[in-house]
Amino acid sequence: MTGIEQFLADKGIYFLTFFLLSLGIYGIITCKNYMKKLIGMNIMQVSAIIFFLSLGQKKGATIPVLLEGLTNSDAYNNPLTHALMLTAIVVSLGTTGVGLALLTRIKEKFGSVEEEEIIRRQDKL
Amino acid sequence: MMRKVIGILLIVLGLGYVFVSFDFLPAIGDSSAPAHKHVSDYYIENALKDTNSPNLVTAVLADYRGFDTLLETTVMFSAGVCVVMILGSKSPLRKRYLVPKEILKGKPYGGIPAYKTVNKDVMTTLIEILILLYAIYVLLHGEVGPGGGFQAGALIALAYIVNVMVAPDIKPLFKFTKINAVAAAGIGVFIYAFTGLLTMFAGGAFLEYGKLPFPIPENDLHPVGIMMIETGVAIGVMATIITILIAIIERVRFDDDRN
Repeated sequence: MTGIEQFLADKGIYFLTFFLLSLGIYGIITCKNYMKKLIGMNIMQVSAIIFFLSLGQKKGATIPVLLEGLTNSDAYNNPLTHALMLTAIVVSLGTTGVGLALLTRIKEKFGSVEEEEIIRRQDKL
Repeated sequence: MMRKVIGILLIVLGLGYVFVSFDFLPAIGDSSAPAHKHVSDYYIENALKDTNSPNLVTAVLADYRGFDTLLETTVMFSAGVCVVMILGSKSPLRKRYLVPKEILKGKPYGGIPAYKTVNKDVMTTLIEILILLYAIYVLLHGEVGPGGGFQAGALIALAYIVNVMVAPDIKPLFKFTKINAVAAAGIGVFIYAFTGLLTMFAGGAFLEYGKLPFPIPENDLHPVGIMMIETGVAIGVMATIITILIAIIERVRFDDDRN
């Protein structure tokens, strides 16, 4: 492998995950629609999950389910990151649910989930 | 406009930070990285001896980090309670209707699809049973292969979601009201915590499965304990997802709803 290929194989995934994270932050900052802000938050969470999972990889290792006669710790991927991210996925589902519930209330109160519309109607209330 | 500039600036700064700081991050696949040393090696080498569970993720999740998972399940339960409380108040019925006017203006049937096939109803009954079977397989298989309580709970909830969203007309395999769903989520968390209390009554520490008061060899007690808490987690996650779905569906009414 040449230098750039080696570099991409070693560190390339970090750029992709950070790009995903930046995409989520960009969506949260720029989008005027609260639903899209929620989707941006989800993208951020996914990027953190992928970051952790890629940290748990080992070269030439198998999934963390024990096989007969294979006890070498280098032969299995790191089970810790998998376990942590499993719970993180579920919690992100819970936060998304609460966010959707709040959006429902906002929609009822202001008749819209667009930010400009809400600010306009806030003055009238 | 200002927002977009700030956003793009943030992205550039963030990516630039990665460019500057990638030396700190280990190479992917490097088995001598800090994340793979210390406690991770211990988990891989001693999990079968300590917990009698070949699936290391389940061993870490349910045994070594049992407290973490208990509180994680509690977070899910409190998210479900939160959604119910946010959407619990009465509001004028008129406000609850979502009328997508621009979309529906030119369309006949008021947004209901014109094509009506029997296919959807038939396939839903088939797919639901398959999803439930797979969920039970994932739950029971969680110790020896990929799987576990969280996934099984999400799959069972998926069967319910398919039922409610795709084919609301056919008779469902199982039906929840909002109150029942919240209660089921609480029961799931209770099963988990009760397993821990059971080991405490038998003289062990909280969630020390080796001390469970069942008349079976001690080596088999760990799988039994893990299966008990996995069942609790599955029930809790399933009920929470169903709670969120029911709470939002009850509150919001689209103008092409039947009733």
